[in-house]
Amino acid sequence: MGTIDSGDTAWLLVSTALVMLMTPGLALFYGGLVRRKNVLSTIMHSFFILALVSVTWVLWGYSLAFGPDAGLGLIGRLDWLGLEGVGPAPSATYAPSVPHLAFVAFQMMFAVITPALITGAFAERKRFKAFVLFSVAWSTLVYAPIAHWVWSPDGWLSHLGILDFAGGTVVHLASGVAALVAALMVGRRMGLLESATEPHDVPMTLLGAGLLWFGWFGFNAGSALGANGVAAVALVTTNTAAAMAALTWVTLSWLHRGSPSVIGAAVGAVAGLVAITPAAGFVTPAGAILIGSGVGVVCYGASLLRLRSRVDDALDVFAVHGVGGAFGALATGVFATVAVNPAGRDGLLGGNAAQVGIQLLGITAVAAYSAAATAGILLLVNLVVRIRVPREAEEAGLDVAQHGEIAYQS
Amino acid sequence: MIIAAFLAFGALLAAWLTAPAERHRPAEVTPQPMVELAAEAQAA
Repeated sequence: MGTIDSGDTAWLLVSTALVMLMTPGLALFYGGLVRRKNVLSTIMHSFFILALVSVTWVLWGYSLAFGPDAGLGLIGRLDWLGLEGVGPAPSATYAPSVPHLAFVAFQMMFAVITPALITGAFAERKRFKAFVLFSVAWSTLVYAPIAHWVWSPDGWLSHLGILDFAGGTVVHLASGVAALVAALMVGRRMGLLESATEPHDVPMTLLGAGLLWFGWFGFNAGSALGANGVAAVALVTTNTAAAMAALTWVTLSWLHRGSPSVIGAAVGAVAGLVAITPAAGFVTPAGAILIGSGVGVVCYGASLLRLRSRVDDALDVFAVHGVGGAFGALATGVFATVAVNPAGRDGLLGGNAAQVGIQLLGITAVAAYSAAATAGILLLVNLVVRIRVPREAEEAGLDVAQHGEIAYQS
Repeated sequence: MIIAAFLAFGALLAAWLTAPAERHRPAEVTPQPMVELAAEAQAA
């Protein structure tokens, strides 16, 4: 068992708070993109998940994700149910220089934001009750196992040597694929083909994007699990990739549509943050520029394809988080270098072509499992309570129909 | 203690399962309240 380092502990606790702020930030990011009659319900999805998963993580989530392996590297045992035996002393397995509970709290915030990301796909039409049941089931049956595969030293993808610094596969790919499945199963919003739905508050979305960018420093640099050089690398690569992707997206929208899109700046920055997430502590700042640039192009293209497909992933969760997460995970296999992080591995450019294959295997496994499990959960939830609100409720807006409140008095 | 914690969460889960899916019956759900509120705000 390690000795507690005050600097490492302070940084991880601050990072936990930074990542916590991302979920309300996501609420504002999504909230601004929907119509005014649905802003409260959209914000409520993220805010409620912050409370919901905070509790389930303590009761069983952490043990399933990070507990001693139950066998085959698939899921953790229930040894740490209710955080029994988890205290202020460092863990022998995780982050040996900080209290085990600090690591629990840091990981809790990841577990919180991941199902919240999915909510953008079924915004403006999902029944709140169905959303609650889905979120409990998804964080238990999808997030916890995948986190175990990748981040537990006994996880099967961890054994293979997958590189995922802060959750490109665990958080973004898993939630992005789930979002696509949810959008397909819940169906399109009413009247979508007849008239476009415009964001009701772009400044709100920009504020949310700013909070996400700010919190992402904790998400990625905090994943170094210490106040050290790797944390500094991760912070710089995170900021660089976000900036480059924002610049790329705005430029593409400028060339393609004739004007530099403000929403494009926000969405582009988020795409860059997503793509650098698996790579942040493994690549150089120059690598981050290439990753940010690449993901800006790829995700912009994905969002255009989504529009043409008429799949109503309302807030482009798959195009940004699914595609961006997969792109980032693959790019990690290309650009990773032990010169930045001796605990990592070299990627393709460092002469280790096999890393690309490992990353591809991880991407495929995570995407396939998330898709299948999400579909199963939605089918089961639909047996208990209809996922979609009635037509009248959708017309009136979910704020009134589901929550009995309205956002704006005029 | 842990059992009590699980029971406390289980009570919430049971409440969510049995709670009504909508606050209003569909027939009562119209955009009217928002229209009225907007009109009142303008009048003020």
